[in-house]
Amino acid sequence: MPKNYSTSTRKNMIDRRLIENIDWFLIVLLVLISLVGVLVIYSSSHYLPGKYYLKQIFFIGGSLVVLFLFLTVDYEILLTYSSYLYGFIALVLVGMLFFSHFTAKESWIKLKYFQIQPSELAKIAIILVLARLFSEYKRNFISRSAILASSGFVALLFVLVALQPDLGTAVSFLPLLLGSLILAGLKRKALVWILILSVVLGVAGWNFYLKDYQKKRLTTVVFPGKDPRGAGYQILQSKIAIGSGGFFGKGFKKGTQSQLKFLPARHTDFVFSVVGEEFGFLGVVAILFLYYLFITRLFRSAAKSRDRSGVYIIFMVSLMFAFQVLFNVAMVIGLFPIVGIPLPLVSYGGSSLLTNFLGVSLVLNVKMRRFVNI
Amino acid sequence: MKIEKNRFYEDLSLILRRTQQVSIAAGILFLLLLFFFWKIQILDFKKYWALSEANRIRENVISAPRGLITDRNDVILADNAASFKASIIRENCQNYVRSLKEVSRLLEIEPSDLERRIAKYESFPLFKPIVVKDNLELREVSRIESRRLEFPELVVETDPKRFYPFGSLAAHVIGYMQELSPEEMKSDLYKGRNLGDMVGQTGVEKEYESFLVGVNGKSTKVVDSLGRTREEVGKVEPAPGQNIRLTLDFDLQEKATQMLEGREGAIIVLDPRNGEVLALASYPTYDPNKFISRFTPEEWMDLINRSDHPLENRAIRGLYAPGSVFKLTIALGALRAGVITEQTTFFCGGTARFYGRLFSCWLVGGHGVLNLTEALRRSCNIYFYNAGRRMGVDRIAESAKILGFGKETGIDLPGEKEGLVPTEEWSRSVRKTHWYAGETISVSVGQGPLVVTPIQVAAHTALLANRGKKIAPRLLKSPPSAKNQDEMFSLPDTSGEIKAEFFEKVIKGMWKCVNEGGTGHAAMVDGFDVCGKTGSTQVISKERAEKLGKEIKTHSWFTGFAPRDHPRVVVTVLVEYGGLGGATAAPLAKELFDIYKKKYD
Repeated sequence: MPKNYSTSTRKNMIDRRLIENIDWFLIVLLVLISLVGVLVIYSSSHYLPGKYYLKQIFFIGGSLVVLFLFLTVDYEILLTYSSYLYGFIALVLVGMLFFSHFTAKESWIKLKYFQIQPSELAKIAIILVLARLFSEYKRNFISRSAILASSGFVALLFVLVALQPDLGTAVSFLPLLLGSLILAGLKRKALVWILILSVVLGVAGWNFYLKDYQKKRLTTVVFPGKDPRGAGYQILQSKIAIGSGGFFGKGFKKGTQSQLKFLPARHTDFVFSVVGEEFGFLGVVAILFLYYLFITRLFRSAAKSRDRSGVYIIFMVSLMFAFQVLFNVAMVIGLFPIVGIPLPLVSYGGSSLLTNFLGVSLVLNVKMRRFVNI
Repeated sequence: MKIEKNRFYEDLSLILRRTQQVSIAAGILFLLLLFFFWKIQILDFKKYWALSEANRIRENVISAPRGLITDRNDVILADNAASFKASIIRENCQNYVRSLKEVSRLLEIEPSDLERRIAKYESFPLFKPIVVKDNLELREVSRIESRRLEFPELVVETDPKRFYPFGSLAAHVIGYMQELSPEEMKSDLYKGRNLGDMVGQTGVEKEYESFLVGVNGKSTKVVDSLGRTREEVGKVEPAPGQNIRLTLDFDLQEKATQMLEGREGAIIVLDPRNGEVLALASYPTYDPNKFISRFTPEEWMDLINRSDHPLENRAIRGLYAPGSVFKLTIALGALRAGVITEQTTFFCGGTARFYGRLFSCWLVGGHGVLNLTEALRRSCNIYFYNAGRRMGVDRIAESAKILGFGKETGIDLPGEKEGLVPTEEWSRSVRKTHWYAGETISVSVGQGPLVVTPIQVAAHTALLANRGKKIAPRLLKSPPSAKNQDEMFSLPDTSGEIKAEFFEKVIKGMWKCVNEGGTGHAAMVDGFDVCGKTGSTQVISKERAEKLGKEIKTHSWFTGFAPRDHPRVVVTVLVEYGGLGGATAAPLAKELFDIYKKKYD
């Protein structure tokens, strides 16, 4: 079968045309935002042992290499094997639940030099599995069985991750599911039902799943002043940091809230508060504008997809970024509860960075292969 | 598993449209978030800026040392010593309830005491330290410091503490210190002071609080979230309080205190020329060092509850019948009123009947016929019953008031009492009964409703010594205070009220009383011409004492000055239940005259 042979070789090699179609602007934005992240991480942790900013640079370099390596594999092949990836991740997560003594924190696997958070990589698995599921779904409106199937895939990983417990990561699976359902043609009525259901689940979760400290965190979103040393303390300190930054900010490495450690999780979940304090409203606008450029470019890339599954992949990756950016930023100014969702690309952390780079890699992958090879 | 796929472009317009819609929705949310940042960073900037400054800037008070108190010869009576106090900063508690429990264990305080303590200062801002234990021992300081990291909420600060090197000596003059209470905070006196500051509660410590208190310094520091200091950005050194020198003479004060030991009473030594108090002792006394603390130790409760009231300054607050000492007032008053002359004689037969009631002299059998000086020398009651009867109570009161009874002497100590000089008007309006003529007879020998304080007796003795020039006793030698200058030296001039010759006549009687075998002969000092008068006050009436069937000793008085011409020293002694004035009080006065003579002549 010479024809088959030739297509498969074309798929597996990078020819000139493919390289020409790589969206370099997207990569520049990606690296730019990540480097801004290094700057903020440096400012908020240079006085700590551990040289987080150097590690982050190393993570960025590594992730960039992985991103390009990943491009060599046609996303069709990735979709083909997506169920194996999904299965593997699910097994690892189950294993982590049972052999928790291998893990450092509940959601981390400790290797010799690095810790890996499999729950982060689960996002990629979910994106691929859902894209694969909906790749042949051409009806205008989604069927009940498709809803059940897709929800089932997400629910399994959601439960496994939530049990770790890593609520933040688990919650960030939900927009992927909801996004794919909307794309597949979820009716408005159904959307309403889903919202009602999530409220019910929320109430049940409040009573049966949430730990006391998490409940406290959620209540203090509403009353941050009440308990200045508890979770409300974190929100209050974060708001003070952002608010005291004013229009121009206090200057690089000059944020008192951050430098004097009033701000919690300065280089991870609350990294954006450091931006607000040290670079002011100007800095906030600039960085949110970068994100906006980046995310709209991701969304627009969907139009460059050659097939349905490509649209799904691009859409879900875009949504993954949009959701996490919006949620994290809303969290640090006290609009949303603190559930531990990092700011993509900027917050310190290798696993989350790698996942995000892989996501962008998938988008690039779809985009560069927009021409059908017949 | 291979995906079957259509090799031609599909129609993706529907899902692309949906993608676009979600993308626009995300864009709107971005704008919405920017609006919130606008609100926090631009509109509410000032509020959050202030909060962030309040977070990082801490102002610590550096306590100013209090001014020293010395005697007239610079013997230090109140000093400062270094001490340590431990305070809790509620803001730094990781877990408030657990923190309280652990702090109470570390400092060995009852958890309930600790809670009460913190509740008292609830109104403080969270970052402000609340003192939970003071007078820490070095062992405790090192124990706290070694566990600093475990207890970010605890701070140990130095705290200059009052120290009285001679303990109870002159405790009633100097006073003691206690923590400023929330009620006291409201008064203007403590404007600018902070809740929890130590302030003088009585005595000179209170009277001259404004001199003694320094101006606290402060250090402004940048701290991190655990309250650890990063850098000091400003410092104002404390200005120590002003030292004050008292008029007290250490030797006389010490002697006076020693002499009272084991008794209850008061001794005052002063200089009649200017009112300077050389000694002022009250007994029983207390050691103010024992309770210079922000807390209420058992010693304090004991002192408050003791029946002999050691905290009371008897010299200025004790109210006693003056007894025979009052005969000086009657003598002067009667001469002034013209109801007697020096030559007027009365017959003392041991008893005499006035207004249908039998009054007796202390000398059973009587003194016989005597004139004024003899009556003063031998302290005859009958003579003064007659003199008093001729005057009537209102003229007695007039004389007593000229001599300074019935109102404060103006000594620079807080809490002085004014005593009581009865008049008919007083009886009607206050006591709501008629004045009985028989009472006038009692008042004539210093009994009845009449009460005076020992300091009044001393001041009136100074007036006698000065032949009418009134002085106000005072304790402050330097610095000169406005109060001293204006109030105390602009006393109404009473020297014209009573003719100088009358004073000479009374003083002659006083001189005889001591130097010619009178009741006060025990106070005689060779070559010092002591003039004095004894008094023995009945605490309860003779009839009641007989009914009770036991002997109740009288209060024992002696007051006098020396020398007769150009007097330089007044000594007033009161011993409660001391028996006869001549037997108990006079010998004590003699010793003080002795010491004064040796030291100053």
